[in-house]
Order: sequence, then structure tokens, then C-alpha cells
Amino acid sequence: MRTAPYGSKMADTASGSSGTRSGSKHATTPADNYYLARRRTLQVVVSSLLTEAGFESAEKAAVETLTEMLQSYISEIGRSAKSYCEHTARTQPTLSDIVVTLVEMGFNVETLPAYAKRSQRMVITAPPVTNQPVTPKALTAGQNKPHPSHIPGHFPEFPDPHTYIKTPTYREPVSDYQVLREKAASQRRDVERALTRFMAKTGETQSLFKDDVSTFPLIAARPFTVPYLTALLPSELEMQQMEETDSSEQDDQTDTENLPLHMSTDDSGPEKENTSVLQQNSSLSGSRNGEENVIDNPYLRPVKKPKIRRKK
Amino acid sequence: MIDNPFGQEIFPNIQSKPYLAQLEAISSCPITCYLEEETDSHLATTSFQVVCINNINFQRKSVVGYVELTIFPTVANLNRIKLNSKQCRIYRVRVNDLEAAFIYNDPTLEVCHHESKQRNLNYFSNAYAAAVSAVDPDAGNGELCIKVPSELWKHVDELKVLKVHINFSLDQPKGGLHFVVPNMEGSMAERGAHVFSCGYQNSTRFWFPCVDSYSELCTWKLEYTVDAAMVAVSNGDLVETVYTHDMRKKTFHYMLTIPTAASNISLAIGPFEILVDPYMHEVTHFCLPQLLPLLKHTTSYLHEVFEFYEEILTCRYPYSCFKTVFIDEAYVEVAAYASMSIFSTNLLHSAMIIDETPLTRRCLAQALAQQFFGCFISRMSWSDEWVLKGISGYIYGLWMKKTFGVNEYRHWIKQELDQIVAYELKTGGVLLHPIFGGGKEKDNPASHLHFSIKHPHTLSWEYYTMFQCKAHLVMRLIENRISMEFMLQVFNKLLSLASTASSQKFQSHMWSQMLVSTSGFLKSISNVSGKDIQPLIKQWVDQSGVVKFYGSFAFNRKRNVLELEIKQDYTSPGTQKYVGPLKVTVQELDGSFNHTLQIEENSLKHDIPCHSKSRRNKKKKIPLMNGEEVDMDLSAMDADSPLLWIRIDPDMSVLRKVEFEQSDFMWQYQLRYERDVVAQEEAILALEKFPTPASRLALTDILEQEQCFYRVRMLACFCLAKIANSMVSTWTGPPAMKSLFTRMFCCKTCPNIVKTNNFMNFQSYFLQKTMPVAMALLRDVHNLCPKEVLMFILDLIKYNDNRKNKFSDNYYRAELIDALANSVTPAVSVNNEVRTLDNLNPDVRLILEEITRFLNMEKLLPSYRHTITVSCLKAIRVLQKNGHVPSDPALFKSYAEYGHFVDVRIAALEAVVDYTKVDRSYEELQWLLTMVQNDPVPYIRHKILDMLTKNPPFTKNMESPLCNEALVDQLWKLMNSGTSHDWRLRCGAVDLYFTLFGLSRPSCLPLPELGLVLNLKEKKAVLNPTIIPESVANNQEPVNSTSNHGQSVGFQNTEDDHLIKETASSISGHQQGVKRKADMPLGSPLEPGQILEKNEDSKVKLKIRFSNSQEEEEIDMDTVHDSQAFIYHHLNMLERPSTPGKEQSSGEMNMHPVLAAPLSVFAKESNSSKHSDHHHHHHHEHKKKKKKHKHKHKHKHKHDNKEKEKDPFAFSNSPASARSIRSPSLSD
Repeated sequence: MRTAPYGSKMADTASGSSGTRSGSKHATTPADNYYLARRRTLQVVVSSLLTEAGFESAEKAAVETLTEMLQSYISEIGRSAKSYCEHTARTQPTLSDIVVTLVEMGFNVETLPAYAKRSQRMVITAPPVTNQPVTPKALTAGQNKPHPSHIPGHFPEFPDPHTYIKTPTYREPVSDYQVLREKAASQRRDVERALTRFMAKTGETQSLFKDDVSTFPLIAARPFTVPYLTALLPSELEMQQMEETDSSEQDDQTDTENLPLHMSTDDSGPEKENTSVLQQNSSLSGSRNGEENVIDNPYLRPVKKPKIRRKK
Repeated sequence: MIDNPFGQEIFPNIQSKPYLAQLEAISSCPITCYLEEETDSHLATTSFQVVCINNINFQRKSVVGYVELTIFPTVANLNRIKLNSKQCRIYRVRVNDLEAAFIYNDPTLEVCHHESKQRNLNYFSNAYAAAVSAVDPDAGNGELCIKVPSELWKHVDELKVLKVHINFSLDQPKGGLHFVVPNMEGSMAERGAHVFSCGYQNSTRFWFPCVDSYSELCTWKLEYTVDAAMVAVSNGDLVETVYTHDMRKKTFHYMLTIPTAASNISLAIGPFEILVDPYMHEVTHFCLPQLLPLLKHTTSYLHEVFEFYEEILTCRYPYSCFKTVFIDEAYVEVAAYASMSIFSTNLLHSAMIIDETPLTRRCLAQALAQQFFGCFISRMSWSDEWVLKGISGYIYGLWMKKTFGVNEYRHWIKQELDQIVAYELKTGGVLLHPIFGGGKEKDNPASHLHFSIKHPHTLSWEYYTMFQCKAHLVMRLIENRISMEFMLQVFNKLLSLASTASSQKFQSHMWSQMLVSTSGFLKSISNVSGKDIQPLIKQWVDQSGVVKFYGSFAFNRKRNVLELEIKQDYTSPGTQKYVGPLKVTVQELDGSFNHTLQIEENSLKHDIPCHSKSRRNKKKKIPLMNGEEVDMDLSAMDADSPLLWIRIDPDMSVLRKVEFEQSDFMWQYQLRYERDVVAQEEAILALEKFPTPASRLALTDILEQEQCFYRVRMLACFCLAKIANSMVSTWTGPPAMKSLFTRMFCCKTCPNIVKTNNFMNFQSYFLQKTMPVAMALLRDVHNLCPKEVLMFILDLIKYNDNRKNKFSDNYYRAELIDALANSVTPAVSVNNEVRTLDNLNPDVRLILEEITRFLNMEKLLPSYRHTITVSCLKAIRVLQKNGHVPSDPALFKSYAEYGHFVDVRIAALEAVVDYTKVDRSYEELQWLLTMVQNDPVPYIRHKILDMLTKNPPFTKNMESPLCNEALVDQLWKLMNSGTSHDWRLRCGAVDLYFTLFGLSRPSCLPLPELGLVLNLKEKKAVLNPTIIPESVANNQEPVNSTSNHGQSVGFQNTEDDHLIKETASSISGHQQGVKRKADMPLGSPLEPGQILEKNEDSKVKLKIRFSNSQEEEEIDMDTVHDSQAFIYHHLNMLERPSTPGKEQSSGEMNMHPVLAAPLSVFAKESNSSKHSDHHHHHHHEHKKKKKKHKHKHKHKHKHDNKEKEKDPFAFSNSPASARSIRSPSLSD
């Protein structure tokens, strides 16, 4: 017997799905409770069917599996029926939708009435009516506007007003240039100071005053192994800035600059590859790149294999 | 052992064996080189040379390889071949596959042999020049002397080809080749390790044996076997790259078919990224890993420079390819070699950097100009160097004119002119074309200098820089004379002759067309232009000095004549008299008029008739020189005179300094209305002396004028600040420039906030950078920077916002820090209190806060070239110097360490140098000098000496606790032997020595024993006047010396007064004297013509030391004759057949008795004549000593090449020491 996965999708045929999970977690929300109740009902159904079939007892796992199968089956019917009804541009499934579904699923519909009216069937009491889980309203801000007269009633309701109504806030956002600049400046300064102080606190420092180390802490000078790299390469921040300004403000420059830029990128392809070939000491010979070479430059040519006599 | 030392990486220690000590001694003496000059020069020419470096070890920093020279003898009986080689270990020399004996001697390793106590720079300079001459390839000399095996003599007599094959290695070279090996994990390629050739002038001998001359051309085959991850870049065409058998290495084969001097051969090996120029595929650029994007941007402009030069020279670039290599720890920013240039990696920049872009482009253009003149066309001799430097500098100037505009060009010319004028007036003249007749120092045209200008290697670096500057200025003068068209024709002619010659097969006379000489150049000028430029050449090329004019004028209303008086100062050092035409431009009301005056010997006054009557006609437009007509407010003018302004030599067609007097309003008119930037700059400088509201207005107007050249506006900023300070009591309105800056760069709505940065307009960018710096120089009545200005600058920093800017603001921020530093004024100190935080001035606290934040932010987000760190360090030093912050070099020392970016190091070192001077710290001076000796970066070593020279801790006339004997010794040692691997560094050490101690014996040295004798004689004897002030000054020393020298006094008394008088001028160290007595009672080291020597019976005799160079020179010349026999003997020995190999040469080494034989003759002779003739006697003594030291020296060589001085005892017992020469067995 195939075991059904335990943590399966919930069998909410009507509403399709809501985002809740049937997890190992203790159910606390009303939706979860509702789901558990349904599940219990299904379990009862399965048990009664088993009794009907003559079983006296069943392992819990078996019952669970059967429940799962039943649930899946019903879910599939529901899902499929919904599709059929939507296919015909309706929102409510009709009987024919269900019938088509069942037919499609290979179920002999004819046998259904007979089965339903079988004599030895067990009647299960309806589960106690629990209060319908209320789908929590996402955000209720104000009253939904009623449809104006020219809109037919079947059209969906207006969305919540907060989605389209402008709500005035109490404080004007600062648009004064001076204040903005001041704010930006002091903010940046604060960040920088905090950052450098932190760095200074956590690392080695140098001091200008012998008696005081904390007022003007200088992060200690640390030699680099390759000093020119940090000195010459633009920092990531600068690169980012450059890209931003390049795309936004460089309109008049693009015409003149793009041409050489374009050319150089074109060339860089084969070059790059050859460079790496030259540098990687790759055991492959560079002949693969040969055809890509448009430029005849001795440094791009492949390295020759040694001739036998050629040994130095 | 000899078989094949190259198979392995080990270096068999066979270094000392081949040294033929005796001969080494000979060539260490300048005399021999004069002798050989007659015979040895141009005995053979090289036609082809192979250089093969088959192993480069980055870990050990070593190189193994061989060279093979194809040599054509030009005379029969050639039996020795001289080559240049320094540092290299020569393993084996073969001539036509026969082992050949060879001698290796480098007299420049140690200039003055033996532990000299003389310490006299005059003496040193002569000795150094002689040492350099002794290995000068242009005179046919060299460090390496190879004996042609006797089997080949017949072959040579038929003038057949010789192939000289030399196996050599180089271990941890200190010069010539520079290894950069970052200390980190990973393979050498991953670490970015690289090596490149470098050096000052002809320095190729440092890394392979060659004829290291610019005039010795040959074709080349170059092979480098390097790690497969590396690229070897060298001269000529890369023919092929082949893997070695194990596939772990590859060999780069280069061919250079254009005849090239060895000095133009270069090499760079590293894990370079390769970029083929997208415009010219034969041009390839190389940079270190990760820098490719920068390389792309930096070199994207190069093709335009190529086009420009090819166009103006109407000549294609002479080589078939060109390579640029950008390397770290560069020796110089730009080094040009045949078909390749080596640049500093710090020239690379991204598109965001404004300030570096023009500088880098200039460097590229300079390098390219030198490809044509300097690499392709080489020089005939050192005295022709100016032609090449001149032409390359001149065409580079033309490129500047085209690229940056006429304003920039004229500004540059003015700048260069000011520089050369200032330098010549300071040091006394730069001579472009030195001719040395007779070889006597008396005729030395540069006797005012503390170094010899006979050789490039003895020149002070600053002098050489100025030399280049003058050379291109003189080229420009020639252009003025013969027109640019002819000038370019001359260049074209030189180039086409050379390229015709270069394609010829080896024929030395054809190839010589590729060398330029002064006479050849002048001949083509006269051929092409038909003009005689001889007077011009005589004035500026054959003669040093500049012209100094003083001009003033009076307007004679009656005659309507301008009476111009032009005086010259031609007596001060560095000046010369000018006779000839001089252009004067007079701007009158009716227009601008040029007058050419003839400057003659005696006439000072020149009458210039005026065209316009004085101002009658009221409002009228005034025509300017360029045809423009402008309205002027003439109310400021003198109503009687029609003169607006006068300019002397406006075209800068004389190398001159002009001090011209005209009234302030004339300067103001000149500033406002003269369109020449040079005139404007002159006017601005002149206006500093006229702090009036009118000057203020003129300057402010210029500042605001957007059409005005930005450099003029920048200059006006500083002048305005000075004027404002002079006018401080009457100044009205806000601080100078503040409202202007606000108007130009601040927001309209809130004037205290600067606009977000937008540097698209470079002119205003430069102005925006400069104005705060100048404003910070403003001072109020209390001589403090006005609070308003300081707050303004702080606000600029606070509101600086670069987020929307296409360009980096690092230079701008750096200048804002400079501005903060400029605002600092000396602290008011009460009772010399110790500087602490509590008594910190609140303004300074604000400044310090900014500096701290900037400096710390640099650690997290470093700026390009760390400009901000540099400025912060400078500012901190300013705060220290002004007493706000305790003076302490520790911070700077940490930034000066190896591993920081070079600009940061230099800034930090500058602060340490300044500290050394201000605080007279011996410890820091020692620290600096240690760094000079040990720092891995040659440029830093050079720069420290340079900075110490420019900002010396003390000078020769100054009393300083730093000036002591140990320092003299240390510096002397540094220049004598410590810097033999780097010409530039040695010259730097000489410069420093000169600045600190002057030409003669340093005053801090203790008095010579003789001087003390005189003291003990209770001043009865005639004292040499030069000693008296010193003995008074160092009053603690006589006390010392009297106690120390009690014993020697008695002997000295025996000498007659005549002798004392002569000796008195020489000062020898009494303390050393004592030490020497204790250390080595016998065989004490001596040097020519000086100090005392002991006899066996321990009697002290006196030798005369000649204090002035002429006398020394005479001695040298005399000795030539006397030692001829001696040398001849040697030469004979060398010519004897010998079996090849080291065993033989070491055998030759042990021939002292034979050698000493002629010596003993001299010894006898001198002994006999001892009391008869002092001078004669001393000459002989002198000679003898020289020879003795030769002996001594070679022994040292035998054992230890480099650390001779470290063990003074080692050879005191050697048979060749002074002691043994006098031993009875020899003198018999």
C-alpha cells in the first residue's frame, strides 16, 4: 500500500486554499481548528466505511492513509469542478460540473445513486457546528464604497479605501532644501564618526596626545602587502556611484565615449581569454583561441610547444 | 666546477678567483685610464649581442644567464676587450669557444679607497669623476677586461670576428634590476611579483655585461625564460614564445633589428595583464593583475599622441612595435627604452579622476617623444645629450600646445623658465654642452659646482632635471630663430637619415648616422634653414648662466618718448651678459607696439618714440595686441602719459629673469587687458607689492572672469589673500573671495551650503579647489585666521556631497584639508606649557576633529592615491609645528614604513625630515639615514636624501648638535661605498653632504693634530685663519685634544713653520688619529696627499695635504709619468699567454714581488729627496701611497667585495700594505 504523505495539502475544496499550513505545530487559529474538525469528520467517515466493509479494527496509520486518500480524492473533485465552472465563466459550480469531473476522473456516475441508497450504509451525525472561521480582514481602513448606480451589482466590490484614498499625514515631509542638506550632512557625519570610532575602539590606535587616547583616536596605520591596489582601484562605493551617474547623467557624453568603449569591449573578449591562457599555464594549447583572434599581436599568439632540439 | 654551473640553480662561489688583483689596482687609478684612452678606445665594435636570461628566481631575487657579443676588431693586435659590468658575477668567459682570462674591477664601488679621514668633498668629487672615467665605455674603458686568448691573436690580426661568450649571474641586485615581491601567500604570479630594469642614464651594465654606452650600437637577440604564468617584456619584436620541456616555463624570444645602444635595453617580467591597443594593434600595454580596467582607460588616449608626433615629424614611428609596462616601485615615473617604456603603476587612473589625467597623459607623451629622440636616435657622447633632451622636450611641448592649448603651453614655458632661472641663480649655471679640453680640472667649466659634470653619473639629480629643462627651452629659442617649419625639417632629416642607416647591414660608419652630435645637429640646422645660429648656441649652449634684467622707465612728455633703462646683472653667480636683440612691447592708448632693442655693452638707456599723444581724446576703444578693441576705464592713468603697460621680452626668447618697475595701475591694466597668460601672471605677482583697493578690484574681476585662463585665476586667489592681509586694517566687506565663492559654488537659496559637487566644468573645479586654500591664508589684525573663514571651510567639508558627481572628489577633499592646515596659526603658549588636550584651542579642536575623521575614513574607504591621507599627515605636521599638538614623529614613522602607498610614505617622510630639522633630533636623522640605506624602494631612498637636502637639519654655516663626527663618517661612507649600486643615490648623498658640510672639510670634525699643536704652542705660531673660528666654536674640543695628543706634539714641533702653514688648512681628525694609533699601529690606511704616517721607529712624519683641487690634479698628472713604467710592466704581464681558467688568474694574482720592484725605486728616490724639496717629496709620497693602496685594495677584493671597511685589521699584515713596502727586503 502506498503511503500518502502526511503533511499534505489541506482539503479545502470550496475556497481552494488559504495560506495556512497543517504543520506539526499546534493549531491555534480558527482556520486550523476548522481544518482539524473536517479532518476528524473524514476520519469518522473512513472508519464507518471500514466498519461497513467488515473491519473490526484498523491501525491508526492505515486509517490515516485512507483518510488522506479520501481527502485527496475529494479535493481533486473540488479543484477540477472549480476549473470546469470557471471555464464556462461562472463562479459557482453546478451539478453538471461535478458530473463532468467525476466522469473525467474515471468514476462511473451511474453507480452513485445506487451506492448512496444502499441499505447497510451508516449514517454519521453531522459534526457540531463550529463557528465559521473568519478570514481575518487584511486591513480594514474605512468603509468600502458602495457601487455607484452605473455599475452593475455583480461586479466586485471596491477595494479597501486605503488602497486608493489619500490620507493626509500630520507632519509635512521636509522638502526644504537647506534642512535636507543639513540632515544628510549630519547624518553622514554621525555615521562616519560612529563607524570610525568603532573601528578605532576595536583595533589598534595611534594618538596625537600622549595623555589622551580616546578623544582623537586614529586607526593605526597598517602596511599593505600590495599598496598600489587600494590606492589606485576605485572603491566599490565609487564604482557603484560611477555606474549610477553614468547611466543617468551622461547623455551628452555617451555618443563620444561609447564608440571607443564599445570597441575595447569587443576586443577584450579574445584578449581576456588569451591573457588567461598565457597566464594560467594551462596545459591546453592556445590553438582553440586562434580562430577568434582578429588582432595579430605577438603577445596573443599561442605559446609554442618545445621542439626537441630547442632545449635551452 | 667550470663545466656547467648553469644547469643548477646553485651559485658556485668562484667569484673571487678570476680577479686579477694587480690589474684591478691599476684601473682603479685614474691615471691608467688616461693612458689607455690613446690606445684602447674604439679598438673594436660590437655588431650583435645576444642576451639570454635562462633563470629568474623571484624568491632569491637572482638571475642567471649569458651574453654573447659579436665583436669586430678594428685594429690589429687587439688583445684585450673591455666591457661594462657591475654587480654581475662572471663565471666564465669564452672567446670563439676558447676560455679567456678576465679581470673584473669596479673603481666606483668605493670611490676613495682606504679609511680616509679627509672628508673633503672637493677631493671626493674628483676621485669620483676619475673613477667613473676609468670605466667610461665612451673612452673605451670598462669594469671587465677580457684577455683575448693567444690562439686567436692571428685571427684578430686579420680583423676577423670575435664571439665573446660570458656566463654571468646576478644575486640580489641592489641596482639595475629591481625585484618587487609582495610578502604574501601564493605563487609568485599570484602575488604579483615582478622585476624590471631601471637606473639612471646608462645603467644596463648593472644587469648584464655589455658596452654600456649610448653611442655603441648593435642589433640584439634577447631571450628570457620565465615561469609560464609570467610575461617577459623587452625590446624589439617578440618572435616566438616557446614552452620548456617540462611545460612549466616558457622562453620569450625577442629580436631587435634596429641598431640600439645597450643602455636602451630594458626588461620587465611579471604576471602582467595584456591589453592590445584597440587603435593600433602593434602597441601592447601591460599592467599588474587587477588593474586592467584602469589600464584600458589610461592608455585609451595614446594613439592620439602617436598620430601627433608622426604627423609633425612626417616620419613613422621607427620601431615595428611599442610596449608600455606599468610597474610598481618605479625608479622614475617614465623611463623610455628602445620600443618600450616603463611607467610607474601609479600613473594608472580611472575615468573618475580629473587631476591625474593630464599628468599621466603628459608622461605618456614624454615617453613617446623620447622613443624618437633618445631611443631610436641616440647620442654621440655625453656632451650631446642636450640635443636629444632638447628635441624630445621640444616636441613634447608642441604636443602640449596642441592638446592643452596655447595658454597652458605658455604657462608651462614660463614655469620652466622660472625654474631654470631660479636654479641657475642659486647654484651658478647649467652648462648644456660641456667641452673638456686638456682634462685639467682648471679648465672645468663647472668649477662652481660640487660635482663633476663630465659624466652623467656624477651629476646631481636636480642639476640633471634642470639640464633637461634648459635643453628644451634652448630648442625653443632655436625655433624662434629659424621658424618651426625649419625646425621640424631638421628633425625629419635626422630621423630619415637614421632610419636609412638603421636598415643597413652592419657597417659602423652607416650606423653612426643614428647618433646625434651637437655639431651634426647644428650642421643640419644651417643646411636646412641657411641661418647662422652660432651666437645663440654660444650664448646658451656653450656657456652656462642666465640673464638678469632690471628695467625701469620714464616718460619724456616733451619729446613724447619712452626712456627705457635696462640694466643687467652679469656678475652674480649663474648669470651671463646678454648682447643682442630684445623685444619690448609697449601698450599705448593707440595700440600695442613692438620694439626690438639692441642690447649692447654699454648702453643702458633706450629711447622709444610713442605713437599716441597723451590722452586728449576722451572715450575711445583701445586696440590690443591681438586686434581686439576694448573699452577701458582710463581714470586710473597718469594723465600725461599715453602708456598703459610695458613688457620686456614678452615672447620669452631669452633665458632671463626680468625685474621691471612700472606703477601699480599699469600692472592692473596689464592684468585686466593683456591677453597673454604670462603677462597676466607677471602682473599678479607684481601686484602683491601694491595692496590697494584698485589691485583688489582688478584681482576680483579676473577671478570672476570665466574666459580667463584658470591657472591665472588660481594664482589671483593667492595674490588676493596676500593683498587682503596687507590691507587688513582697511579691508571692508566679507573676507576676500568668500562672497565670490558663495556666488559661484553655493546654493542660491542658502548661501552657506555648497552645491552638490559637479565637476563637469574643469575650470571651475580647479577654482573651487583652490579658493578655500587661498582663503585660509587670510589673517585678521591679530594675525589669526578669521573665525568666519574657518567656519566657512568647515561648512564646505560638512556639506560636501559627491553622490551625484561623475568624478571623484578626493583631490577636492584633500585640498579642503590643506585649507584647514593653512588656517592654523602658531599657538599662544603660556610659560611653555606642555601641549595637552585640555589647553587645546577650540578652533584647533574642530580642525583636529575633521582630520581625525578623514584619516580614519581613509582606512575604510581609501581615496585615489590616498590623497586625503597625504593631506592629513601634512596638516598634522603643521599642527605640531605650530605648537598645538605635541611634536612627535611616531605617527609619521608608522606611515613611512614600507607597505604604504608611495605618496603617503613621501608625505610622512617629509614630516619626519621636518621634525628632524625643527627638533634637531639625532635619532630621527639616524632613522632616516638607515632607511636611505635599507629601504627596498629606490625612489624612496632617493627621495629621502632629496628632502634632507632641500630641508636640511643644519647647513654648513650653522651650529647644530647634530653635526658631529659620526654623522660625517656615516655620510661619507654612504657616498663613498654605500651607494655604489645607484648613481642617482650616490649623487643625492653627495648633494646632502654638500648642503650639510660644504665643499671643504666639515667644521664639526675635530681639528687636525697640527692645529692642536699650534694651540699648545700658545698661539705663537702662525695660525691658519680658517682654523681659528672653528677652534673657538668647538671650544670643548681643544680640551680633549690636548690631553689626547700630548705625545704627538713633540714630533710635530720638529717640522718647520712653512710646513705647518701649508698643512694647517687641512684638518685631520685627531680623534681618529688616536684611534688609529690604538687599532693599527702599523700599516694605517692612508690616502693620496694627506696626513700622518709612522715610521718603524714610530716617529711621526708629516705629509702635506693639498687643500685645493688644482694641486691635486697636478699630482695626478705628474704621477702619470712616474707610474708609466709600473703600468707598462703590468700590461706586459697581461699579454703573456696564459692558460684559460681561474686557476691561472689566481696564479697571476700572486705576483707582488715583481710588481713591487719598480715601486722600490720610487721609495728609494723619495727617501733620498725627503728633505730637499718638499713638494717633490710629497708628490712621490703621494704616488707611493696610491700604489700601496692599490695593493691593499685588491686584497680586500679578493676576500670580500662589499664590506671592505668592516674589518680594518684584515689586511694590516698583508705584504702589500704600507708597512711592508718600507720593509728592508723590498727597499734593498
